[in-house]
Amino acid sequence: MRQLLSLLLLSLVALFFAPRASAADYHEQLVLRPLPLSALLASFNFRSNTTLSAFEAHNFRFFPRSLGQILQHAGTRELHLRFSLGRWDAESWGARPWDGAREGGTGVELWAWLEADTDEEADRKWRTLTNALSGLFCASLNFIDGTRTTRPVMSFQPEGNHPNSAMTNVHLLYGVLPHEVVCTENLTPFLKLLPCKGKAGIATLLDGHKLFDASWQSMAIDVRPVCPPGGECVLEMEQTIDMVLDIERSKRPRGNPIPRPPPAHELKCDTAKPYHSGDTCFPADYNANQDWSLSQIFGKTMKGTCPLTDPNVPPVCLQVPNSRGVYITEGATEKKNLDLVSRCYEIAPDTPEFEMVLPRPESSEESGQAVAVQEVVKPETPLLYAERSFTGHGQEHGGVQTILRNPSPDTKVEFIYMETLPWFMRIYLHTIEARIEGQAGSSKQDPLIQEVYYRPAVDRARGTQLEVRMRIPPASTVFLTYDFEKSILRYTEYPPDANRGFDVAAAVITILNPNPNATSPRFAAYNLRTTSLLCSLPTPDFSMPYNVIIFTSTAIALAFGGMFNIIVRRFVAADEGPEMTLTAIKERLRKRFGGLLQKYRGKGG
Amino acid sequence: MSARRPLDTGALGGASSSKNTTDAVISDNAAPCAVADEPSSARKQPPPEKASDVRRRTYVIVSFWLIVLLLGLPIWWRTTTIHRANLPLDEMLDWADGKACRPVFPLRISIRANSLQEQEAQNLLRLTQHALDDLNDFSGHHLRLQLSPPAAEETHNGDDGAALTIRLIPGESTTSTLDPYAPVLDITYPPNSIPSPTSSSSSLATYVAGQLRSTFAEEQAIISFLLSNNSIPSEHRPQGLTPEAAESLSKRTTRSLKYAPTYHLTFSLFTSGPLPSSWDIEAAIDEFMKPVLNVLTPIHNFTIDTQVQLYASPGVQSQILSKEDLSSFINAAEWPLSPSIGGAPTINFIVFVGNQTILAAPREPPKTEDGLSTSQSWLVPQWGTVYLLSLPSDTTHVSAATLRQPLLTFTSHLLSLTGTPQSGSLPLRLSTLARIRSADLLLRASSTLGSLARLALALPSISIPGSVADGVSKTMTHLRLACETLGGPEGLAHARIAEAEAERAFFEKSMVGQLYFPDEHKLAVYLPLLGPVGVPLLMGLLNEIKAWRKRRRERAERGAEKKKE
Repeated sequence: MRQLLSLLLLSLVALFFAPRASAADYHEQLVLRPLPLSALLASFNFRSNTTLSAFEAHNFRFFPRSLGQILQHAGTRELHLRFSLGRWDAESWGARPWDGAREGGTGVELWAWLEADTDEEADRKWRTLTNALSGLFCASLNFIDGTRTTRPVMSFQPEGNHPNSAMTNVHLLYGVLPHEVVCTENLTPFLKLLPCKGKAGIATLLDGHKLFDASWQSMAIDVRPVCPPGGECVLEMEQTIDMVLDIERSKRPRGNPIPRPPPAHELKCDTAKPYHSGDTCFPADYNANQDWSLSQIFGKTMKGTCPLTDPNVPPVCLQVPNSRGVYITEGATEKKNLDLVSRCYEIAPDTPEFEMVLPRPESSEESGQAVAVQEVVKPETPLLYAERSFTGHGQEHGGVQTILRNPSPDTKVEFIYMETLPWFMRIYLHTIEARIEGQAGSSKQDPLIQEVYYRPAVDRARGTQLEVRMRIPPASTVFLTYDFEKSILRYTEYPPDANRGFDVAAAVITILNPNPNATSPRFAAYNLRTTSLLCSLPTPDFSMPYNVIIFTSTAIALAFGGMFNIIVRRFVAADEGPEMTLTAIKERLRKRFGGLLQKYRGKGG
Repeated sequence: MSARRPLDTGALGGASSSKNTTDAVISDNAAPCAVADEPSSARKQPPPEKASDVRRRTYVIVSFWLIVLLLGLPIWWRTTTIHRANLPLDEMLDWADGKACRPVFPLRISIRANSLQEQEAQNLLRLTQHALDDLNDFSGHHLRLQLSPPAAEETHNGDDGAALTIRLIPGESTTSTLDPYAPVLDITYPPNSIPSPTSSSSSLATYVAGQLRSTFAEEQAIISFLLSNNSIPSEHRPQGLTPEAAESLSKRTTRSLKYAPTYHLTFSLFTSGPLPSSWDIEAAIDEFMKPVLNVLTPIHNFTIDTQVQLYASPGVQSQILSKEDLSSFINAAEWPLSPSIGGAPTINFIVFVGNQTILAAPREPPKTEDGLSTSQSWLVPQWGTVYLLSLPSDTTHVSAATLRQPLLTFTSHLLSLTGTPQSGSLPLRLSTLARIRSADLLLRASSTLGSLARLALALPSISIPGSVADGVSKTMTHLRLACETLGGPEGLAHARIAEAEAERAFFEKSMVGQLYFPDEHKLAVYLPLLGPVGVPLLMGLLNEIKAWRKRRRERAERGAEKKKE
C-alpha cells in the first residue's frame, strides 16, 4: 500500500523536478480520498514558481506580489506558515496526507529561515515578518513575540536548495499561536494569493462554510527556493489545503443545517442482526454508505479549470478502488492509474462546470459486510501514534504525559520530539522519563532518550524549548513524562477569558528519514503533531486590586483614626461633655431650621 | 428624660472610667447627686485642663499636619506627576505662524552676452533688473540677474548655481527660445536694440524681463499659492492670485502626492478573464519610463515592482463608464494593491485589459492636448493611474510595443503626481519642482511644529518624552538652515530632514496612545484612603483652632476683668 502511494508521489516528484523551461510554472490538483467512518479527505495543492531573477527584479507573475515583497523586506529565505483546526484521527484515518509535512498544530504555526548577521537583526526581521504576515492573513501573528518564538536546533531542516555559502548567516525561527482560531478571514487572503483566485479551477470548491466545518483542516503556505539540476533556480510557493469532511454533515442543506433525526424509512440498519425488525435498528457501518457528489459535499460544482495550470497535471484525482463506478460531467475524461486504487480526471478547458458523483456501490445491498470493506481504500498505517495529555491535579503542579506507539512489527522509529512551552509552565527537567509499557525502566544499552536539547524559560521573556531525540523499538508503546510547576501571573497578564485556561502548543514530532537518498531526499520521513493542551492556572479574582485598596484603606483608617483620637481627644465624664442624645439633636435641628419650617408652613396655610 | 439620665451617664461613665483621668472618675461618682440637685440645669463643666495637656495636643496636631504637608504631599506629587519635557512652545508657534522665517527664493539668472562689450552688457543688465523689479509684485520670489564672465562659456550650464542662463545672441529680430534639454533661454536681438549707456529704458531689457517673468510665472504662482494656504502673515503674501488660478492650483496640489524621498511604483496588469497572463513590462519600462525616472533622481528615488492579476472584476460592471463610475472602478476589496511595506508611498499604475470604454461627458469636450487621456485612462489623485487597454480576446502576451501608449501616459501622470509644474522645458520644470518641494516641506514642518505646540498646550495631562523635545530642537535647527539656503539643493535636504524629524516628534508612539485614566478611577482609589484618614485629621485641626480661639477670647476677657478690677 505504502509502496503504491510512494510510487504515486514519486511520479509527482519526478514530474516536478523534470527540467522545464517554459511551462509548468503553475499547477493545481485536488485529490479526494474517502476515509473510513463516512469521512472524505480533500487535498488541494497549488504550486506556483517564479525564477529567482524575476523575483529579485520585483516582477511578479504567478507569485503573489503582496507576499513577495514581505519576503524581500524581511530577508526570508524559506517560509512555512500553517493554519490548522481540529484533530486528525490517526486510529481510524491512518497516515496523514503529505506524510504530515503540510500540517501544523492547532492554531497558527510559522517557521522561517531568515538572513541576518546577528541574532538581534534576525529578531528584528522576524518581527517585521510576523507583523506583515499578520496584516496579510488577518491573523494575530503579530502576537508571536519573544515568549512564543524559539530557535529549534534539531527538529527542522530547510526543504529548499540553499547554496552552502548562504546558509552560514541564516537563522531559523519558529513561532506558534495555539490560541488562534482559524476562520474565513484567513481563507480569503489565502485564495487571493492564487493566480486564478477563487474564480476558476479547483479553488472554486473552497468555501469558508464547508472548510471550517470540517473535522480537521490545515492550510499551509510553503515558500522555498528550488534548484533543479541543470536549470535555473526558482522560488517555489506551494499552497495546500487539506480537510477531512464528514460526509453526512456536509450533505446537510445549507438552508437547513440543524441536524434532525431521519425518518424511520431512511435509517440505515444492519439487516444481518438477528434482532432487526420494524422497530429495532442497529446502525450499519458507515463505510457501506459512502455516496456523494462534488456539489453535495462542497456546496457547489467546480467552475472549469484554471487556464494557467500545467496541462500535464490532471486537476482532480480520486482514490477509490477501480471496481467502483463514478459518474462525471461530459467533457472530462477518466484515467485509471496502474495502482488500481486511484484515478484522475482530465477536464477540457471549455467545460463550464465539472461535477462528479460517487454512487453507492451496487453490490453492498445484497452481500453486506464482505464486500463493503472494498469500498474504501484501506488507510495506510502511520509510522507512529502520539497522544499527549496532562496528569496531576491542583493549581500548583502538574505533569505532561505523551504516549508514543510504534505500530510497526519489525522496524524501530527514531524521531525528535519538540515542545515549546509557555514560560509560566516551569518544567523540572530531572523528572523527564521515558519507559516502555510493561517494563520498569529503559535499558542501558539502547536508551529510549538519545539526546536532549533544553533551553530553559526566562520569566516573561522566553518560553521553554525542549527537543528530545528518541528511538522506539518495534511494536512497543512508550510513555514520556515530565512534571512542571505553574507560576502565578501578574494581574494584567491574564487574558480576558482567564478561566478558560492557557493553550499549550502542540508538540512537533519529526520522524527521521533512516537513509536520505535521491528518491526520498527529505530530512523527515514523517511529521506529526499532538493536539494542543489547555493548561489552567490559578486565576485571581479580578476585582482584587480594588478590594485590596478598600481593605487596606479601611485597616489604615481604623488604626489611624483610633490612634489619632486617643492622642488628640480629651476624655471627660459623660455628663460633662456636650449633650448627644436624640432629643438634643432634635432640639438643635429645630433651633436651626424651625424658623424656616414655620415660614414654609405659613406660606402653605 | 431626666429620670433616664443617671442611668445613662452611669453606664457611660463606667465604660470610660478606665481610660479617664482621676478627675473624671470623681466627677462620675458625683454625677447622680448633681442631677438630683438641679434637674433643669444642663451639664456639669469638666474640670479645667492642665496647660501642659493643651500644649501637648497642639503639638500632636501640628506635627501630624507637618508630616502630611512636608512628606506626604511631595511624595504624592512626585509619584503621580506626568513627565513633560520642555518644549520651546513660543518658538514653535512662531514657526507655524511664519514669523520665524520669511520664505525668500533668490533666483540667480546669469546673462551670457559674449558679443557685447562689458560696459554695454552691464548697462543692459541694470535696465533689465529695473524692469523686472517693476514687474514683480511678490517679494518672496526674487529674480536677480548677474553677468557671467565670457570665460565661463565652455563650462557646463548651471554649475555656478544659476537657475537659468540667458544667452544673448545677435540676430535678425527679437525672439526667444527655451532650450529643451538645459536651463538655457536663448534670446536673439537685432544689433540696434542695444541700449546706449545713457538711456534709461530699452525695449530689449523690457522684452527680456517679460520673458523671464513668463518663464517663472507658474513657479511663482504655485509658491504664492502654497504660502497663501499657510498661516504666513499677509505682508509677505503675494497679491493678484486670481480665484480661477488659485482653484486650478489647488486642484493640482491636491492631486500630487506628499513629498517622499522614495516612491514605490507598482505596475499591475489586471485582466477581467484568464488572458493575457504575461507582459513585457520590464522592457517597456526601460524604454519608455526610465529616462524620466533618471531625470527625477536628484529629487526622488524610485523602486519598481510589477504584477499580473487574472480574473479581476472591476468595481463597475457597465460597458461604458461615466465620470461617476471612475471613482468606484478600482475594486479595492479584491484587487491586491496593498501599499509597499518599506515605508515609501506607493504609486499604482494599472493596465486593465477589458473592453470597457469611458464616456466623455458631453458638456466637457476632450481637451486637445490630452484627448487620449480622457478616452482611455484617468488619474486617481494621490494614488496613481488606470489605463484601459482593449486587446483581442485571444491575446496571451502583451508586447512592449502595445505597452508604449500606456507607459507614456503613466510617465506624464507620474510627473503630475509628483507635483511637477506643467510649463517650461523639462530641466526648468525639475529645478522648479525642487524649489516648490522645499517650500512645501518647510511649510509642512512648520505647521507640524505648530500642531505639536498646540497639542501640548491643549492636553495638559499628556506626557511629553525627551525624544520629542529632541526631535523638535533638531527640526528647528534644520528649519533655520533650510530657511537660510532656500532655493538651493541644501535647502531641500535640510527641509527634508526637518519635515521627517517633525513628523517623528509629532507621531511619537508614547504620545499617540495617551494613557486613559479617568477621574472616577482616581476617586475610587483616593477616597477610601483619604476619606477615613482625612476626616479625623481635619476635624482635629478645626477643633484645635476653635479651642485656641476660645482660649484667646477667654484670656482677653480675663484680662479685661482684671483691668476693671
